[in-house]
Amino acid sequence: MIDPLFLEGIIKILFVFVLISAGLIISTRNLSSILTSYTIQSFLLAAVSFLLYLIDGKSQLLLLAGLTLGSKVILIPYFISRIEEKIRIGRDIHFTYLEPTTSLMLSIGLIILSYSSLSKIFEGLPLSKLFFFGAVIGLSLTLMGMLVVFSRKRVITKALGYLSMENGVLMFGLFVTELPFIIEVLIVIDLIILVILTTILAVGMDSSIEEYREKVRKLQIWTGGEFR
Amino acid sequence: MIRYYLLIMGIFLAFGLIPKSHRLMNALAAGNGLLHLVVSWVALFMLDLPVRLGESLYMDHLNLYVELITALGFTAAAFYARGYTDSLMEEGELDPKNLKTFYLAFNLLLITATVALFSDNLALLWIFAELTTVCAAMLVAILSARENIDAALKYVFIVSGSMLFAFLGLIFLFTLSEQALGEGTLNWTELSVHVSEFSPALLLASFTSVFIGFGAKAGVAPFHTWLPDAYARAPSVSAILSGLMQNLGIYGIIRMYALLRESSAAPHASSILLAAGVFSIALASFSMFQQRNLKRLIAFSSVEHMGLLLIGIGIGTRLALFWTLFYMLVHVLIKETLLFSAGVLHRQYRSNMRENMWNVFKLQPRAAWSLILGSIAIVGMPPFPLFPAKFFILLESAAISPYLTLAVLLMLILAAASFANFLFKAFSKVTVEEENEKDRHMASAHVETGRAELKTPTGKADYDEIRLPNQYIVRSGMRVPAVFMLALALSLGIYFPDSLRDLLDAIILELGYV
Amino acid sequence: MNTSFLLFALLNPLFALLAAPLYMSLIRKVKAYAQGRKGPRLFQVYYDLKKLMKKEAVYSPTSSWVMRFTPYLNLSTLLVCSLFVPLVFVPEPAGGLGNIIVFLYLLALERFFTALGGLDAGSAFGGMGSSRSMSLAAVIEPTMVISFAALAFVLKSLNLHQMFALTAGKILPISPTLVLVSISLFIILIVETGRLPVDNPATHLELTMINEAMILEQAGKNLALLELAHALKQFLLMGILINTILPVGLSTEIDAGKIAVSAFLFLLKAGLLAIIIGLFESAFAKMRLFRLPAFYVMAFFFSATTILIEVFA
Repeated sequence: MIDPLFLEGIIKILFVFVLISAGLIISTRNLSSILTSYTIQSFLLAAVSFLLYLIDGKSQLLLLAGLTLGSKVILIPYFISRIEEKIRIGRDIHFTYLEPTTSLMLSIGLIILSYSSLSKIFEGLPLSKLFFFGAVIGLSLTLMGMLVVFSRKRVITKALGYLSMENGVLMFGLFVTELPFIIEVLIVIDLIILVILTTILAVGMDSSIEEYREKVRKLQIWTGGEFR
Repeated sequence: MIRYYLLIMGIFLAFGLIPKSHRLMNALAAGNGLLHLVVSWVALFMLDLPVRLGESLYMDHLNLYVELITALGFTAAAFYARGYTDSLMEEGELDPKNLKTFYLAFNLLLITATVALFSDNLALLWIFAELTTVCAAMLVAILSARENIDAALKYVFIVSGSMLFAFLGLIFLFTLSEQALGEGTLNWTELSVHVSEFSPALLLASFTSVFIGFGAKAGVAPFHTWLPDAYARAPSVSAILSGLMQNLGIYGIIRMYALLRESSAAPHASSILLAAGVFSIALASFSMFQQRNLKRLIAFSSVEHMGLLLIGIGIGTRLALFWTLFYMLVHVLIKETLLFSAGVLHRQYRSNMRENMWNVFKLQPRAAWSLILGSIAIVGMPPFPLFPAKFFILLESAAISPYLTLAVLLMLILAAASFANFLFKAFSKVTVEEENEKDRHMASAHVETGRAELKTPTGKADYDEIRLPNQYIVRSGMRVPAVFMLALALSLGIYFPDSLRDLLDAIILELGYV
Repeated sequence: MNTSFLLFALLNPLFALLAAPLYMSLIRKVKAYAQGRKGPRLFQVYYDLKKLMKKEAVYSPTSSWVMRFTPYLNLSTLLVCSLFVPLVFVPEPAGGLGNIIVFLYLLALERFFTALGGLDAGSAFGGMGSSRSMSLAAVIEPTMVISFAALAFVLKSLNLHQMFALTAGKILPISPTLVLVSISLFIILIVETGRLPVDNPATHLELTMINEAMILEQAGKNLALLELAHALKQFLLMGILINTILPVGLSTEIDAGKIAVSAFLFLLKAGLLAIIIGLFESAFAKMRLFRLPAFYVMAFFFSATTILIEVFA
């Protein structure tokens, strides 16, 4: 058996790297690096739940780690990388509302915000410090993912931001309480469906392939506000 | 039970993939809607409500009522869809290959919405509400034009992203129940029994997060931004269906509010609802004013009504809830009428814009009249049932603050004026020239240079259209649902059936309002 | 002032002064190997310094006393700094020496005068380099402050001597957070010593120069002093990093044998770090100047989250 304190120390380090990966998703311009950051983030999450398993010994956590590994580290990134190849663009350099530097600064604010709000909400709960902080990281990860969805232009990046949000929710759930495993499975299924849908649609939006341009010209009639 | 339902419906969907003819696919979709309508009707009268079937199926008056509204809307939409999709395909806007996907998503949407409504488990509600978003987004994107896809993606990202916050709220609830009961649960029925033991702060936090999620689903400002796009850019049928899904959001909010009504967090929750409601109404009514796009106008009107529903829930009295529930039904009836007619007009003019509409009474007299009647109904004029609903909600809101009532009333008037403004300007033109003429006077500088040179490329296109006024032939079956919905609304306004009143009373009783 | 500290004050700066240039050339050597060249001799920097020392300093006619003063000031500042970072053994703390805030201010002083010296010569390059250096300093300074704050928080002291007395002799870092702090420190090391991907120390290409541009006008003895000061700065930052992450062998007692072992081990560890830096530099391309703030903010974000987690969790 490994010393739990040591494991907690490792988990703390993983926290920082989870946040860093979220920061990278916010600020990186290269699409494949964003995907890599997401994959690493999911992997870190799987690692966290595995470490929690080592501390707690609940087999559900092990299952969760396996599920995360299978779906979010292997399946979804593989699928998205296929799509990225297909749309033949490598970079997402457009930001709306927020430049990456600003959003990174904002994220620090978000972390502090979620810390202060959660410390008020969880006053009565018997959460250990580490678990409480896990919840804080989860919430801030969700908010940072939201920032990505807001500030990025490309659909693929938005989808990755959404996925990172979902990772945050998973992390939050991991540390606050233990949800029934079946719910986790359903969420993952939901996630996969969403990813498939958005990425397929993303091919239409992000693509630089000529045939999509054709389609767009043909159906300008649905533009609504812009059409006169 | 839900498992069996899903199994049966899965078989049904697989069966629905077989037919090649549009007529059959459409008939299946309509049959599906009718089936749900009839079954929930039967359940409403035959079963001793509330009833729990199996592990997670829970039926009470509220979810049966919402299911009835949803199924009714679906059935009407299915009848309308036949002619509408036909003409979409004729124009080459809808790829016939996508027709199967369309009906698949159509049926799937009803099924997922049904499961979401009837599940006792909050997590199931959440997941299936998410799936309805996916299906509705598929319907919005069905034309696979860039604008549609854009709208669909906006829909998915805003609603699903907000739904993740709702999931955070569920985690809060689960923790609460774990504390109070020793073992966590997400069942409505169990939660509502033990809600008094929960900590108010956490309960409020959970309400707020759930509200963000379901509020986004309902299209409440500031999470409404997906709604105008989904309405304006998607084909009318898809708009109707995603509009129906707004009720699902309201359903979740009603449930959640009823849950914490007894705790000390209720006043805060109320004020959240009222604030969001007023904000929605304000934002919607100011966006509606001078709105030139018909479908956007209708969309913002939806936001406005959702705001009013939130106020109705937030007031928290029996009477307000009663009329709120009634409002949900009538709103769907009238909104569908409007969208059906707007769809016809879009087919005629190939545009939702006011300035492209001319000689409406000559070209589409019926659509024009149903649009006018629908507008009268939606702003809450007396013969129509939205009048008493709005009236009583506003009356009840005066108990909270008369200023609130006054502000809401003023904004409702603004919304009504926007409808009138739109209709006058769009329907009073006989030729396209008139409005363009006006524009020219405003731009004045160029007026003197003479008519001939003034033809901008768009102006020229309009001119050509005048030369060739080809009337869009409304297909059979497209008018029926609009007329039916409008007639139903009108009759509800004139005669309020006792059975409906009993039903609404039963819902209120079950939710714990005494 | 006790004897232990006097000994330290004698040994530590001497050791730093002697060893520092070695690692300048070691990094160059590593980079050369990575590029498939043979590279200069290991003691090349010493020869260069010796050669420069013999040459006379040439001043531009527009320059003032600042340019003459800067090299001496820089070297003496860094020699004072070297009293702050225990390299051969950790003495008893004495006076304000070892205070982390003073240390940061001394580094800032050095940076400030380097920039002034760059401006003073009146050449376009010097001015450009100074302006770049100052605007980037404004972004990296908060990161530095916050990383050192994290270090101080984890090791529960504001005094570098006390901090390293705590870690001295341990094989592994005492808290996992120190690993994260070390990453921040590594980034600071890269940035402060003007290495790739921030600045290229090997180039005199006008468009990319930052650090080199400021000392472009210096010659002879003065240049030697500045180079030496630069090497010393790098060595001291390396020292802090090494003492944080790999304190093994650092002695706390005054014992000739132990001091020798500790100095020897330090040379080895620094060699390892220099190799890592060399490889790191080879792996990256120079970043565009306008991208640098984003990079620095990332570093800031990193250190800020570290300190947040350390303080709150």
